[in-house]
Amino acid sequence: MSMFHPLRVLGFGALALSGMASAQAQDLSVLTNKSPSRQELLIEGAKKEGQVVLYSAAIVNQALRPMAEAFMKKYPFVKLTYWRADTEEIIAKLSAEVRAKNTVADLVEGTGVGELAVESGLTVPFTTPATDELPEMYRDPRGNWASSRISYFGMAYNTKLVPADQVPKTYDDLLDPKWKGKIAWRINTSSGTPLFITAIRLSRGEDKAKEYFAKLAEQKIINFGSGSARTLVDRVIAGEIPIALNIFAHHPLISKAKGAPVNTALLEPVPSTAGTMVVPRGVRHPHAAMLLADFVLSKEGQEIFAKAEYFPVRPDVAPLEKLAPVVPAKAGKEELFVGSEKLNRYYGSSQKIWEEQFR
Amino acid sequence: MQVEEDRALSAQVSRRWAESRRISPGVLVLIAVLLLAVVPPAAFLINASFHETLADGAPGAFTLRFYQQLVAGKFFLPSLINTFIYACGSAAIAIFIGTVQALIVERTNTPGRKLAFLAAVISLGVPHILYTVAWLLILGRSGPMNDLLQSITQHAQVLDVYSLWGMMLIEGIGFVPLTFLLMSSVLRSTDASFEEAAMMSGASPVRAFASITLRMAFPALAGLTLLIFVKAFESFEVPALVGLAGNVNVITTMIYQSSRQAGAANYGEAGAYSVCLILILLGLMFWQNQLSRHAKRYQTITGKGFRPRVIDLGRWRYGAAAILVGLFLIVTIVPVAMLAFTSFQPFYGGVSWESFTRLSLENYEVLLKPGSFRDSIVNTLVLGAATATLVVPFTALCAWLVVRRVPGAWILDQIASVPLVFPAIILSVAFLDVFVNMPLPLYGTLLSVILASSVRYLPYGMRYAFAGTMQIHSDLEEAATISGAAKFKVFVRILMPLLAATLISSWLLIFLLSVQAVSLPLLLVGPGSEVMAVTLFELWQNGQVTELAAMGILWIALMTCVSVAFHMLTRRHQLSV
Repeated sequence: MSMFHPLRVLGFGALALSGMASAQAQDLSVLTNKSPSRQELLIEGAKKEGQVVLYSAAIVNQALRPMAEAFMKKYPFVKLTYWRADTEEIIAKLSAEVRAKNTVADLVEGTGVGELAVESGLTVPFTTPATDELPEMYRDPRGNWASSRISYFGMAYNTKLVPADQVPKTYDDLLDPKWKGKIAWRINTSSGTPLFITAIRLSRGEDKAKEYFAKLAEQKIINFGSGSARTLVDRVIAGEIPIALNIFAHHPLISKAKGAPVNTALLEPVPSTAGTMVVPRGVRHPHAAMLLADFVLSKEGQEIFAKAEYFPVRPDVAPLEKLAPVVPAKAGKEELFVGSEKLNRYYGSSQKIWEEQFR
Repeated sequence: MQVEEDRALSAQVSRRWAESRRISPGVLVLIAVLLLAVVPPAAFLINASFHETLADGAPGAFTLRFYQQLVAGKFFLPSLINTFIYACGSAAIAIFIGTVQALIVERTNTPGRKLAFLAAVISLGVPHILYTVAWLLILGRSGPMNDLLQSITQHAQVLDVYSLWGMMLIEGIGFVPLTFLLMSSVLRSTDASFEEAAMMSGASPVRAFASITLRMAFPALAGLTLLIFVKAFESFEVPALVGLAGNVNVITTMIYQSSRQAGAANYGEAGAYSVCLILILLGLMFWQNQLSRHAKRYQTITGKGFRPRVIDLGRWRYGAAAILVGLFLIVTIVPVAMLAFTSFQPFYGGVSWESFTRLSLENYEVLLKPGSFRDSIVNTLVLGAATATLVVPFTALCAWLVVRRVPGAWILDQIASVPLVFPAIILSVAFLDVFVNMPLPLYGTLLSVILASSVRYLPYGMRYAFAGTMQIHSDLEEAATISGAAKFKVFVRILMPLLAATLISSWLLIFLLSVQAVSLPLLLVGPGSEVMAVTLFELWQNGQVTELAAMGILWIALMTCVSVAFHMLTRRHQLSV
């Protein structure tokens, strides 16, 4: 811990430390238990724990509440409560809890949470047989995190402002002078500019990527600073912005189905990332946490995510029919999976490129 | 005149009150309470600004790097200049419109003027983020305003709202209700006898107003101006939604960007920015403190009967009513109507004949699914009521001591104003750190949110109470003191009743502001202590703008119900709000 803390100054220090010791005495061996009796062990332990707390970035109404209801139906002896926030807030809260040795969360799920939390020392490793079902690239061999859902990123365009025959089909088409001042992207969020820039660097190599960014900077890209990818797509629909880069590829499809003048274009390679689950350091209900992780990765759990318009990570659960056109494998497009570890490694340098050329 | 008559008596009392220059235990206790509330988050910020942030968010080695970066960075100076222009501009707009409105309502016999309070309260119920969204929908590139201007001028794009003037306009109009409420609490408690004296001596009503009323209200006005200025200075929604999209950087968006930059928690640069903000504010506060040094000159509520003067406008009163209606349209109806329109659309594609053919209730169906708000609605009301109930009497007591220049009380004012400069995003991180480390099991509870938002809204309660107390002449209290009443009794029996109207509007204001705060509760709530504003934020992050608008309309409806109920309740007890 640090040398200085506001509460320490107020004389709470000694008290605070004594109050937290109890949380530390947990036996965490169950997290990496691979024995055949794992399931019985989990149930027995979870019965004693009686509750589990999930922090997640998934949407409440369509995903978290149904997930909680289904989980508690299956394991009625565990009370599941959840807290929803964005990745940045989840990390802030998690790191404060772990630092204070006052961990409330038992399982943390979100896009970009994984490696960031792992590298910050906020997690403990865990294994679950459920990950065996997943494609190799969505697994972490060190057992620090498990993928829970996939996101694909594409370009949204307003069909009234961008005629069908002029829709950019490649990243180089974006450099056409006619799009100057008409393209926006999201800043201040890892799946925005950092992912876009990282994907270009990974697919083209540093030198060619550098040339590309110099040209792209000429286009005076609009920095969309606050608000989500979804709200950026809404701006495209409203005709405020003709083209938006690196938005969640399925959002325009959902609006298009309602008659909105918008569509998705997949530029190759199509960047994708995974939402991941981690177990926080100081976890208080490890047995129930494992039951929950297994459940999220189970066919049943993945189907709940799929219904909430997320892309399941299991190959045996299909995404919603209407969303299939943006799954690169189905659309015959090349996918570039930028896992949480890669995204994290490139984050700083990609952010710097944005800072120097596009801010 | 008044002052001279009182001189002998008040000199005697002052002697008793200030028997010694020592700070009384009561004031010390108040100072301690305030310090306890303000120091932990401030210490967190200052600490963060001088230390590297380690990977897990803990402070590392000492560094001055963040300040060096700040001064050397190419964004600091331009963003500081932008911030000043933006804060001055929006404060000017808000104060001008708010003052005109308050004058008409408080000082004329314009028909229907009392409804302006209800209108202001309804506007205050609109969360700022939605308010901004509504204005962007109206003034944006594809908004009806640009469509209209395009058809008139035949130019492609006439207005660019994503600019400094757009920010000032939206923020300025957004602050009108607050300015109006504060301004009318000032005007309401100004004794008209001075004005009457001036007019009897031949001054025109305008002259009497300018050289008597405005001057007498000067310290309260200065405090109000400062509040609005600082609020614009630290505002976030408009700079983020309007400014960032137009590459107009101000200090708060710089803080936001730097706190999110590295992915992991990094509050060094954000802390350094906040420390600069605090220093600027303290300078302004010092200046304001100098102004109110001669507070006694401005006291107008005395033991003698008084009533604010109402000017009979004659036929002009319909003109004044038209102005009020016009302001009501611009400040409340237009943005709310835009939200309402958007909430009935399956997607937002501008305002056109075509868009009226696709009205639907789908957004409301999504939101009103069973269970959506069952937990958060009670939490929200408790949060607002508890925060307001904590803040209002406390700040009234502090403001009274400050205005009466009780030894040491000026410190109260200074400390209570500090939370104003914490950007909410930073304040929430600081409070998270405080509560999660607390030995008491407060972390994640609703109580922790209540405490944090009480700290955040201290300055508002303080300004409100300050404006009211400033104009209450000390003679009534002195009479009570002479008759042997203890100080606390004087406060409860004399001051509180005189201040009742002010305190009630202050309560409602703080209620409305604290329930809609998003960033502060976001990190502090835990599973089960969610408040509705956080749901609103989730929609903001993940929902479509149409769903967000529907949620906003539901929210405004709820807040209107609360306000109207409150209005009726106070009316029954003969207290006008």
